[in-house]
Amino acid sequence: MNLGFIKTTCPYCGTGCGLVLQVRDGKVVGNYPDRDHPVSKGSLCIKGWNAHEFIHHPERLTSPLLRKGKTFYPIPWDEAIDLVVERLGRTAEKYGGDAIGGLCSAKCTNEENYLFQKFIRAGFQTNNVEHCARLCHSPTVAGMSQALGSGAMTNSIKDLEGAKCILIMGSNAAETFPIIMGDIYKAKDRGARLIVVDPRATEVAKNAHIHLQIRSGTDIPLICGMMRHIIEHSLEDKEFITKRTEGFDTLNEYLTGWTVERAAEECGLDGDMIREAAETYATAAEASIVFCMGITQHACGTANVLAICDLALLCGHVGKEHSGICPLRGQCNVQGACDMGGLPDVYPGYQRASDPGIRKKFEDAWGRELSDRPGLAVTETIGSGGGDIRSVYIMGENPVMSDPNRNKTLEFLKQLDFLVVQDIFPTETTQFAHLILPGACFAEKTGTFTNTERRIQLLRKAVDPPGEARDDFTILCMLGKAMGLGFDYTDPSEVMDEIASLTPLYGGVHFYRLGHGGLQWPCPTDDHPGTPFLHKGEFTRGKGLFVVPEYTPPVESPDHDYPYIFITGRMFCHYHTGTMTRRSPSLNRETDKPFVEINPVDAARIGIRGGDAVRVSTRRDAIVTTARITERVSRGSIFAAFHFFEAPADALTIDALDPVSKVPEFKVCAANLRKEESDGLS
Amino acid sequence: MNIREDARRAARKVLEQGKAQGVLGLREAGDGVSPHLFEDPGDIDSLVVEPKWLLAKLATGILKDLPDDYRLAVMCRGCDERAIVELIKRNQLDGAKIHVIGLACSQEQARACLCTRPYPSEVAAGDVVEGVDPFQDERARTFLEGDQRERMIRWATELKRCVKCYGCRNSCPICVCVPCKLEDDLWVGRGEIPADLISFHLIRAFHLSDTCVACGACQDACPENIPLMLLQISMRAFLMQEYGYEAGTDRERRSPMLSDLTKEPSPGYEIPGWVDSLKDSV
Repeated sequence: MNLGFIKTTCPYCGTGCGLVLQVRDGKVVGNYPDRDHPVSKGSLCIKGWNAHEFIHHPERLTSPLLRKGKTFYPIPWDEAIDLVVERLGRTAEKYGGDAIGGLCSAKCTNEENYLFQKFIRAGFQTNNVEHCARLCHSPTVAGMSQALGSGAMTNSIKDLEGAKCILIMGSNAAETFPIIMGDIYKAKDRGARLIVVDPRATEVAKNAHIHLQIRSGTDIPLICGMMRHIIEHSLEDKEFITKRTEGFDTLNEYLTGWTVERAAEECGLDGDMIREAAETYATAAEASIVFCMGITQHACGTANVLAICDLALLCGHVGKEHSGICPLRGQCNVQGACDMGGLPDVYPGYQRASDPGIRKKFEDAWGRELSDRPGLAVTETIGSGGGDIRSVYIMGENPVMSDPNRNKTLEFLKQLDFLVVQDIFPTETTQFAHLILPGACFAEKTGTFTNTERRIQLLRKAVDPPGEARDDFTILCMLGKAMGLGFDYTDPSEVMDEIASLTPLYGGVHFYRLGHGGLQWPCPTDDHPGTPFLHKGEFTRGKGLFVVPEYTPPVESPDHDYPYIFITGRMFCHYHTGTMTRRSPSLNRETDKPFVEINPVDAARIGIRGGDAVRVSTRRDAIVTTARITERVSRGSIFAAFHFFEAPADALTIDALDPVSKVPEFKVCAANLRKEESDGLS
Repeated sequence: MNIREDARRAARKVLEQGKAQGVLGLREAGDGVSPHLFEDPGDIDSLVVEPKWLLAKLATGILKDLPDDYRLAVMCRGCDERAIVELIKRNQLDGAKIHVIGLACSQEQARACLCTRPYPSEVAAGDVVEGVDPFQDERARTFLEGDQRERMIRWATELKRCVKCYGCRNSCPICVCVPCKLEDDLWVGRGEIPADLISFHLIRAFHLSDTCVACGACQDACPENIPLMLLQISMRAFLMQEYGYEAGTDRERRSPMLSDLTKEPSPGYEIPGWVDSLKDSV
């Protein structure tokens, strides 16, 4: 009987839950939670339970496809590979390597991301390597690196269970990280206080002790008000501040302007709630902060993250087992894609591309001269109309759906000389490609993912990719060979050995060590057991740095023409641009059409009822979607999830960027709303 | 007595004597523990019995794909065996194709599951320990007894955490209805969490009122740690008290809910008082 059970890692969020795939005759026929998994311990969310449903979907890409006019024709692999090398080469020859851009993928393995950035950097002497971390946690990487020396989640997921207070800021973990939410509830059951900061009354907020329903984009006033209250009442950890931090006096001076009253006014809150939250967090023996896109996706995203670091440092709630700062990373391998140098300013392991010594190390290892010019952030490139980028290679990303102000993204893609997109399904982005390469999904390849708590886990191949599709490792090896870069790896484990040899954070990481439970970085040597929590005794940068979080209000505020605050985000049964979840029958059954959440008072005022077709417009574009009347959003705010191609929320969002991290302000812009009189969908 | 060695011995014997072509059990390898279909007695050295990982549902799925003459042995805890019995009674499994290798649970496991019968009908490995009375458990009592209003609040607090993963249904060995009532728009709304307190959770619980074998798979799978087993325990206790019936332990008797009690009381059991009084009032 050809039947087996393959243990692997879930392809959706950054929690990294364990799946057991049931395989029969080369097909995945079942999917069960791994009862022996260190993180998920036998649980899964609705996405995880149905993660096998898209694997054998009839719309999978099964052959390289070349555009001729408006139609795509299948071509053999050798032609496709030659074409990529020839076209990218021609661009580099004509305009220089910096005319090439590459988007690697938080859905691909560490090994594939490493090879991708090596292919771009060594092949074309440019640092133009990017991926969707720019759109989510780039402020986290920037802010936490500055304050603590490392941009990653400081603690392990299981640490949350032991905290006495958990402050959740801008994270709807019940919908987006349901397994981690379980650990948070465990803490609550053991007596921990739960404080939630969110402009929406999410399920997390409803299950909290304190819900601070702030006006969108006023996180800094809130945290500053809390910090000033803590200092005024001598609740700060003075010993910790003296021994382990620097820069306190400057921050303290800045905080004098931030009375609780002023904070309450800015946030639209009652001052006593701010005081209670401040005292609860500061006086807890062990407290952790969990945060997500509600903090980062603002034009002041990096300052928001710095404010969070300040608060934790002030109270000494970091560098301990149950006390830390926990950014929840969105994609299954967004942590790894960052770790592997899928960013324009760093090589693998956050080694700065601007450092000549580091550059020399990689030049020696890769046998090619490398660029000393910093690469471009994707949001900046698209926002500036494309700049000098002429040809782009996208692996497993769908920027048409995921990037802000969609019209600008479309303009950018349409004017390219050459666009090659590698994916598992046709997407809104592949439509604009000159060449499409069919990749492999999570169940069809071997490699590693790094989850949000820095745990490097194995992905195990269960079945072959469909038709002529190849796993991305094989495609990159073909490309690297054709470019004359070597790339004669026979197995992804050899790539990890190379990563280990060049990246101190991953120095002791080898496939043979990852069998059960994986390893948490930093893991510098072959006998190092991995690191469950960071900054014990000393911060990665030495002392923890207090940085003044300068407050800037959102770029767009509601006005006469656009009177609503438009918030975007995710929902429990779909994932990001919907490429996989919209093709999963069980998930699509749960929600199969776009919606916008409207407060009942607003809805009554403009005569909208649940289920009505409504037109939502901003200064950039308009979409027609379905009204969902709910008190989850407060008056004057509306919310849409960005999973739906029928009404793409990111057609509307603003492309204003955080000056440090270049993250777009996805979470706030001004919008108008009216009932669509016709059926509107034509 | 070493439960793992005894379990291996029993599994090996079943294969060697040809009582079954395959043994569905747990295997420990470099990647940790996972379910495995052992067909070669030489592989049995990697068979383990921990952690608690119920196999009845997997067995049902696998048997559908196996050849007609294939006989499958399953490593079964008490609850797993009860689930298999219940599935056979409800025509979901062909009893002739199943061979049970019984494992007795540890005292610790029995306590964790509040299990009244932590052993199968025939024990091949493990020491039999006494069952636990869930009504003596302090936490369970706060959900099962006392002020109704307080209990309702307690339950609402728990059920409000539901993230609608359907893990309780998906992992339940007895949940076999097609189509599932939880996917009926009349009862359960789509696209929002939490799932409806009454229509989702109570429909699910009542659907299993006379079939639940108290394996706890629903609760084990719940990411938000909702004590779902406690929803079933009172119904199980009621069936035992009023009808002397326990799902999965009696291979012959039909569920009282499928019987006409006034006409065909089960042998040896009296008609409960309230059935008669119901008849009088009509």
